[in-house]
Amino acid sequence: MKFLCIPCDEQMATQVDGIMPEEKNNLVLKFKCKKCGHMIAMLTNKFETEFVSKLGVEAGGPSDMAKTPFGMMGSTLAEGKEELKKAGPDEGDFEWTQEAKDRIQRVPFFVRGMAKKTVLNFAKERGIKVIDGALMDEVREKVGM
Amino acid sequence: MKTYEDLPSDGGSNIMDQVIDQREQLRRRLDQIKHKVCLMSGKGGVGKSSLTANMAACLVLRGHKVGILDADLNGPSIGKLLGVSNQEKLEITPEGVEPGQGSMGIKIMSMDMLLPSADSPVIWTEGKDATAVWVSTMESTALQELLKDTIWGELDYLLIDMPPGSDRIDNIRDLIPELDGVVEITIPSPISQHIVSKSITKNSQLGVSIIGLVENMATYVCPHCNQEGQLFEGEDVEKLSKDKQIPLLGRIPFDTRMSRQTGTGKLFIEEYGDSVTGQAIAQVVDNILKFIQNKSN
Ligand SMILES: Nc1ncnc2c1ncn2[C@@H]1O[C@H](COP(=O)(O)OP(=O)(O)OP(=O)(O)O)[C@@H](O)[C@H]1O
Ligand SMILES: [Mg+2]
Ligand SMILES: [Zn+2]
Repeated sequence: MKFLCIPCDEQMATQVDGIMPEEKNNLVLKFKCKKCGHMIAMLTNKFETEFVSKLGVEAGGPSDMAKTPFGMMGSTLAEGKEELKKAGPDEGDFEWTQEAKDRIQRVPFFVRGMAKKTVLNFAKERGIKVIDGALMDEVREKVGM
Repeated sequence: MKTYEDLPSDGGSNIMDQVIDQREQLRRRLDQIKHKVCLMSGKGGVGKSSLTANMAACLVLRGHKVGILDADLNGPSIGKLLGVSNQEKLEITPEGVEPGQGSMGIKIMSMDMLLPSADSPVIWTEGKDATAVWVSTMESTALQELLKDTIWGELDYLLIDMPPGSDRIDNIRDLIPELDGVVEITIPSPISQHIVSKSITKNSQLGVSIIGLVENMATYVCPHCNQEGQLFEGEDVEKLSKDKQIPLLGRIPFDTRMSRQTGTGKLFIEEYGDSVTGQAIAQVVDNILKFIQNKSN
């Protein structure tokens, strides 16, 4: 799927920062025209989200999760071995509370990488080290979804 | 206005590139494996897993390097059959995931090895609200990961123990287009043959080549006197084989010691290779090898 800005006749780029950790399977993806800055949002429902998820790919380009062996299973199995969960991408200095982990876990796989990036960028900007539910609420507020 | 083809990418996600990357990685893994054979049956409980394990052992005895992919995600039994405990640590490196080392050096990968305890179910995080479509898509992605991220190394044979039914064969065909073929397992009961016959038709329509039929629990062999008796009063597997024009690879007698071995990690073939049942399994393996040899000639 590609998006075109009609006035500029330019391709719109996926906004990596525009995806919100939405715990339902409804999804919001933002696209921006590099020329005029116009933004649009693509909204999908549960079934449409599932359809895209089938590919095992990630919107906004592959995150580290995609390069981790058994990455999809590790991040999607409700009960999995420690090693499997730990093998995920290194989050650097950040610590996620259980609530935050659970919430990010509920974001559909193929946009989870982007959602994580959004939250992490926000935390970095503010020098926050612990990511919790309140922070995630704040991010959602700010990104405006 | 520009058209789809005019736009160079999909706006930064590179979905196609990601799919291609995954496929290339899968290809690199599969290219190190000479032959891939699927064991399946439309019917459950006919002995797919037990025969897969014991046929793998036969292949090892013939000097081959063998691996087993347990494609039965929800009812994995290969770990148990080959003595790989669910409690063994999973070795994950950037290279991939180390397969379990089963009896006789058979490499295995099974969902069991990913779960924290022997009785943990396979539940995807979408949980209770998950629709059938969702679960099915997760399962096909899981199968792809099990195949492409496991460090199989160089193998002569990869056997695939399928779940009951014939749904997942579409996935396997898609992931392993070079599959040597499937072995259909049935038992001498009209219901089993009816279902297996459907599964054969489906495979033909999908263009999946069928190596042949195996009739398991064909007769009962008394472990004391080696006399064979009938176990089921049933449909003739030879008729099914003729009707469908696929070879009958062998009939395997019931031997109580086969089920008794489950869980000890020692395979039936290792201990009772000389029994009537053991020899029948070996015969099936030889027929499969012949098929593969003819095909490559
Ligand atoms: N030839 C045989 N002689 C004695 N027992 C057998 C024989 N074949 C299979 N069994 C036993 O039958 C039971 C079912 O076998 P198995 O689990 O291999 O079947 P399956 O087709 O893989 O089942 P599922 O559909 O659940 O995956 C097991 O207890 C196994 O030990
Ligand atoms: Mg089985
Ligand atoms: Zn524009």
